[in-house]
Amino acid sequence: MKKRTLRRGLTAIWWLILIFLYLPLAVVVLFSFNSANSAASFTGVSLRWYKRLMGNEEILSALSNSLILAIVSSAVALVIGCLIGYGMYRHRHRKLGWLIVLIYLPIVLPDIVFGISEMAFFVQIHRMTGLLQPGLGTMIIAHVTFQIPFVALIVYSRFVGLDPTLFEAAKDLYASPAQRAFHFMLPTIKPALISAFFLSFTLSVDDFVISFFTAGPDSATLPIYIWGAIKKGVSPEINAIATLMIGAVTIAAILSLLFSHRRQP
Amino acid sequence: MTPSPLAPEPGTREPDAPRDTDNAAREASSIELLGLHKRFGKDTVALDGVDLTIRAGEFFTLLGPSGCGKTTLLRILAGLEEPDSGSLKIGGLDITDTPPHKRSVNTVFQSYALFPHLSVRDNLAFGLRMLGLPAAEREARVARIAEFIQLNDLVDRKVDQLSGGQRQRIALARALVCEPDVLLLDEPLSALDAGLRSQLQVELLRVQKRLGMTFVFVTHDQQEAMVMSDRIAVLDSGNIQQVGPPREVYERPVNAFVARFMGHDNLFPITRRAEGGWLTTELGDLRCDGEGAGDLLLIRPETLDLLPGEQPGENRLLATVGERLYRGSHAEYRLDIGQTSLQATVNNRGRHLPEVGERITVTVAADDLVTLGK
Repeated sequence: MKKRTLRRGLTAIWWLILIFLYLPLAVVVLFSFNSANSAASFTGVSLRWYKRLMGNEEILSALSNSLILAIVSSAVALVIGCLIGYGMYRHRHRKLGWLIVLIYLPIVLPDIVFGISEMAFFVQIHRMTGLLQPGLGTMIIAHVTFQIPFVALIVYSRFVGLDPTLFEAAKDLYASPAQRAFHFMLPTIKPALISAFFLSFTLSVDDFVISFFTAGPDSATLPIYIWGAIKKGVSPEINAIATLMIGAVTIAAILSLLFSHRRQP
Repeated sequence: MTPSPLAPEPGTREPDAPRDTDNAAREASSIELLGLHKRFGKDTVALDGVDLTIRAGEFFTLLGPSGCGKTTLLRILAGLEEPDSGSLKIGGLDITDTPPHKRSVNTVFQSYALFPHLSVRDNLAFGLRMLGLPAAEREARVARIAEFIQLNDLVDRKVDQLSGGQRQRIALARALVCEPDVLLLDEPLSALDAGLRSQLQVELLRVQKRLGMTFVFVTHDQQEAMVMSDRIAVLDSGNIQQVGPPREVYERPVNAFVARFMGHDNLFPITRRAEGGWLTTELGDLRCDGEGAGDLLLIRPETLDLLPGEQPGENRLLATVGERLYRGSHAEYRLDIGQTSLQATVNNRGRHLPEVGERITVTVAADDLVTLGK
């Protein structure tokens, strides 16, 4: 009897957690389809907010900024992070642990500290050289910086999980260094790379704080736009944007999981 | 150019064909090692000046306990490790500084190291693909090797659908299909159970004899070494102790290490030598026909004969049976002689097998005794 009570109690807690996690999201999604203008009552299903969204130049530009930023930064982070992950693997026996700590430091720093430092840095550079005017460019650099550690870690752990003799087998079977990269290493870690790309993508779309500090006047992303709009009160339009973002991030997260959980050879 | 040994044409060597045919062609695959030294870190000496010549077409085994340097030596041959000093020639050509992917040498790894992202077929073709062979020729050669190693039905599987024995054969085929001058095998059978192991020993031997390819085989199992090899090199702490055909290494070991490693326990220090080959050990006086001048006397258990009762005479020792292990085809004895004991193996020919506690006489022929150095 006791056991059953305990199990029921635990199940109840589980549902409670799910409710707290997902009910707010559900409300946002629901009200994005509300035909009424107010968030107080739900009067009927309509797509009017989505239509309004499509007509709003500011939102469309924020959306395209968000996508450009996420795709470009994820791609750049993928290349650099992959090289770093391989480097960490290759030299794992040397005493380079401190290098790894160094690369993770930006992650554990509060975003706001990281964002402010990046901003100050870019402003200084801009003043001295005229380069790095705040805008999409600086945002891409900032995003790449915090995405790299995640990519590097995923790639590194994939390599560590491999039989080290495989690298020797490739050499032994006449593969030159370039052939080893393209015929053995890249195909072997492909699932890890795809997973890392989608993770970087969601991190970038998610980010507000760092984007906020490194953005320029014309490079507002969706989170920045929402933050600005929300000062005038939550409009149903915001609900529609949020719903779209929930959808995009969920898809990317599922893809990332799928590829990292796909039975890795 | 060597005719492709895997082609069904004249290059095919039948199991019984004399091994010294087409010497010139196979000259390309002889190996010469000169003064190889290798250290790991400051204190670990893996190879301490190894000189060795391996003949073309030979099944050559590097035998020794773990840490003796045999695997390091193999890895230097493959190019996966660089020697600190010394040189390495294959077919008379110095390849000490040649990177592994440019050596006509292939390895069968202990863990098999099959590429998990490729099918069996693509694993087999990997080396040929890296060499830039056209697809048609790759396919033909893969098909030929699959036929030869009898794994046609496995080619379209994925690597993770294979058993240990199948992986082992794929790993062998993947190395052979490149038709290297030398094939290196790093304890390739050690992960398999006993039955499969002896079956694959036979298969490996058949393949090597058919192809006439130089095989360098690493093992710590002296039985396996004796079954497989044309010649064996016994290694200990980075030095070669003895090189020779299996019978020579087993029957005439040059020192106590080789003798013990080949499974001999009957080693007795020689305390005195006298005219006529007479030696004194703690067992008593024995006459030895060999010319050896060593300090140890080796008595192989299977050279001993047991006579019932006490029948003293030349090269006869009186003993008490201390222990008997009956093994069906033969029996193993521990015979107590004074303060020491002697191991004996007696074939079971249906005659009387002395019981524990029985007094008996042990006889040994003078020319079966071997003396060796420490």
